[in-house]
Order: sequence, then structure tokens, then C-alpha cells
Amino acid sequence: MSLLTASNLTKRYSRGGKTVAAVDDVSFAIAPGETLALAGPSGSGKSTVARLVLRLIEPDGGGIVFEGDDFLALGGTALRTRRARLQMVFQDPLAAFNPRATVARVLDDPLRIHGIAPRTERPRRIAQLLERVGLAAALAQRAIHEISGGQRQRVAIARAIATKPSLIVLDEAVSALDVSVRGQILELLLDLQREQKIAYLFISHDLGVVRAIAHRIVLLDAGRIAESGDARAVIDAPRSAIGKALVAAAPRLDRNIRQDGSSTARQS
Amino acid sequence: MSGLRRFLHTPEAVAGVVILAALFAMALSASLLFPGDPQSIAGPALLPPFQDWSLPLGTDRLGRNVLAELFHGARTSLAVGLAAAAAALAVGAVIGTLAGFAGGLIDEVLMRITDAFQTVPGFLLALAFVSVVGPSLGVVVVAIALSTWTGPARVARAEVLSIRERDYVAGARVIGMHPLAIAFREVLPNALPPVLALSSVIVAAAILTEAALSFLGLGDPNRVTWGGMIAEGRTVLRTAPFLSIVPGIALVLTVLGVYLAGEGIVETTAVKRGLS
Repeated sequence: MSLLTASNLTKRYSRGGKTVAAVDDVSFAIAPGETLALAGPSGSGKSTVARLVLRLIEPDGGGIVFEGDDFLALGGTALRTRRARLQMVFQDPLAAFNPRATVARVLDDPLRIHGIAPRTERPRRIAQLLERVGLAAALAQRAIHEISGGQRQRVAIARAIATKPSLIVLDEAVSALDVSVRGQILELLLDLQREQKIAYLFISHDLGVVRAIAHRIVLLDAGRIAESGDARAVIDAPRSAIGKALVAAAPRLDRNIRQDGSSTARQS
Repeated sequence: MSGLRRFLHTPEAVAGVVILAALFAMALSASLLFPGDPQSIAGPALLPPFQDWSLPLGTDRLGRNVLAELFHGARTSLAVGLAAAAAALAVGAVIGTLAGFAGGLIDEVLMRITDAFQTVPGFLLALAFVSVVGPSLGVVVVAIALSTWTGPARVARAEVLSIRERDYVAGARVIGMHPLAIAFREVLPNALPPVLALSSVIVAAAILTEAALSFLGLGDPNRVTWGGMIAEGRTVLRTAPFLSIVPGIALVLTVLGVYLAGEGIVETTAVKRGLS
């Protein structure tokens, strides 16, 4: 059974009297513990799909089933409660946090909102979360703008896993990081996936990274699915024109982070 | 620290702060230096200034000590100015945030109400409100706030419209934060700086409006106000012009001080934000 099924998602924008479909009839499914990559050139609708899945924007058509429920039918408190299971990490780790916030407050919010830990318990839980993503617990007292980009993205991941989600949408989550930090963050994401069986919707234009960590891939072009299938098979031998163009443009990545080739997720 | 130093290197800002400090000192020391009712008779009527050193600024038509009235009047001006500005900024920021963040029908309704308040001349609105409800310090504060909250509301809304598209607001939604909590914890604090930049203008306008209301006899009758003093002096303008001139100068200096200090603060913080 799939964890999330998106069927025939459509989102249109009208610009200057003309209607432009940012996302046109896009369907895909994510299994528990699986990484599905959503790749495509700029403007292909990747981020719009992410925002549709998270219900940050409402689709004009189509459906989303998450954990067996019609996700689009949820509203108000029911939606806010269910959001604990579906988290997101943004591309720009500085823009993703309130500029006035401290690390502790950023991590305290999800714990408080979803009643995960009582007030007295929370500082300990925040320290645990920080340690889990490879940061010192003492960092909690620092302001968000005082820590480095890599640390910020780790804090973002800590916030995403605070509510024990089953799916995390990673919207270009490693694109803004420098190469050495990027590798470490990807390792951390894979560790968390193995440990907590979290599924990822991994949005990226970097096919090298996608090939290294994704199980399956959906290639988008101008809001439509151009090609989909096993991540390595598609990237090694793309059939669609946009797939060929993207592969040709991608720098070679010889090292694979996912050494085992298959994954635990596919059995489910 | 460097912000403070930069502030102190701006001569206008320093002048503003000195004037304001003097004003606060007057307001705070009023009942120490001039205990008792400033409206009680202290000497012969219409004594010109600098004649009797126990009454340095002379007396008014009824023989009241002008200096004591001036000190006590500083209290009213400051209290009304600050309270009305605080109320206007608070109401404006909240309404602007709600309108900008909620969008749609709520935005439409709130902004049309704002339009309605803005089309009525502010002073007329304050005048009407005080003459209906009756003059007292609280009513004057409310009346002035009623006519000035629209500016902060518009600025706050414009700021919120840009902030609500930022990633961290989306992030707050993703973690399941309630929309009202997002509006007031995540958005409002970040929309405040340009709204607070209006505060010096609003405080200055509030002090002037209070003086104008008092001048028309719509101030709190139990308090000395500079506007009221000017109105009192008006009847004897030819024979004793100092009765109107002294509180007039106080008023001008106060508004100037508020304005200069406010500009200095805005300038300093703007530079600081530009650098970081």
C-alpha cells in the first residue's frame, strides 16, 4: 500500500488573461520508507507539486490520499493535526526560519503544537533532536542567523523529524549547501530513513544527487510527467527528450552514497 | 553600542533627546516642584514674566502660576501623546496584520473600514467623538487614536503582504501552527519596524491634536493643558501675549523634540539594518 498517492494533480495560474498550467495531470505514489525524486528543469512545476502535496496551495483538480485518508478533504484542526505526519525542508535554510527565532524556539514549536512533550520535558527533547542531527545541544540558545548554513539545514531537519513524520518533502533541500556539507546532509537523511522508515519526496534538479539517494524518479517538464521509473534506470538511459537533456547537462557523480543498490523500502 | 554612538553623533537626534528629556523631567517633577493644585491662585493677576522670582513666568488672568501650569501641562501632553500613539499603533498593527494575512473578504472588509476612517478628517472625528462622549483624559486618548490608527494599519498590511509569502510562514503552516498564532507570532513582529517608524509623527500629531481639542474647550477640564492655557490667554492676547506665547513655545519645542528624536532613531536603526 502506498503512503501517499497523488492522482491527476492540476494547478493553473492565470497570467495576463491567459491560463497557464503550472502542474498538469501529475500522478505518482510514494511507498513507506521510499525516496521518490521529482526532477526537472527550472519552471517545470517541481516546487508547485511540493506545495500542493503539503497543501500550502490548493490544487484545481486531482486528489491526494495520505495514510489512507483523502488529504484534500481535511480542514482546520484535523488538517493541522495531520500535518505532524507530513513535513517539509526548504531550499534556503535562512528564509525557512523566522529571522527573530532561536534554535530552541524553532524546535519547541512543533513539540508544543502537537503536544509531543510537556513544557518541562521539552528542553531535553530539543537537545535530543539536535544531537540526532549531529549538532551540539548547546546550539539551542543561539539565534538562527548566528549559525552556519549547514547547521541551519540540520536544524530544519531536526524540526521536520520532531513530530515523527512518515513523509518529508525535501524541496531542493541540499541545493543551497556547499558540496562538502551536502554530502553530510544526504548521509544524515539516509540514516534517518533507515532508522525511522521515513519516506522522502526529494525535489531536485541535480541528477547526480538524485541517482545517489532516490529509489524512483518522476521527471517533470512544463508541468507534465515526461518520464518515470527506477531512478538509476531512468538516469542511466533516459528515454524522454528532457531526460536526455538533463542527463547531458549534469556533472558526473561517480560515487554512490547508496551502496546497497536496492533498498528496504521496496519490499513494502 | 555602535548604534548608540552613531545616534549620539547626529546633532538633531541629540537635540531631540535633550528636549524630550527636559520634558520628561518637567512632567515627573511637576508635583514635587509645584505641589498642590496648579489651578489655584498664587498671586496677583496678569503678572508679567521675570518680575517676581517666586513666579518666574508670571501669572494668568486669574492669578495662577504660569510656570506651575506649564509643568503640569507637560504631563498631560506627554501622557496623551504617548498613550494615543501607543493605542493607534497597536490597533493599526493588529488590523493591518489581520487584513494582510487573512486576505479575501476579511481584508476587503477591514480595509474598507480603514478607508471610511481615513476619508473623515481626523480632527473632525476626534472633535465629534469628544463632544458626544464628554471630555476626559481617556476619551481624548481614544478620540485621537481613532483618527490616527489608519496610517499604521496600511503600513502594517503592506509589510504583511510581503512577509506572508516567505518560506518561514509556509514552514509555520507545515508544522501545524494555528493561523492566528502565525499572524501574531511569526508575521506581526517582523512587520513592526516600518510601523514603529511612524511613531514619532503620530506622537507629535497626537500632542498637537490634544492641544487643539483643549483650545476648543474639549480637553479634560480637571487638568491643565497647554492648549487650554493658550485658549485662556487668547482673551488677553493684546495686553498679556506671554500667556499664549509661553505654552505655544513649549508645544513647538515638544513636537520638534519628538520629531527629531524619532527621526534619529529611525535613521540609526535603518543604517544598522542596512549593514547587517
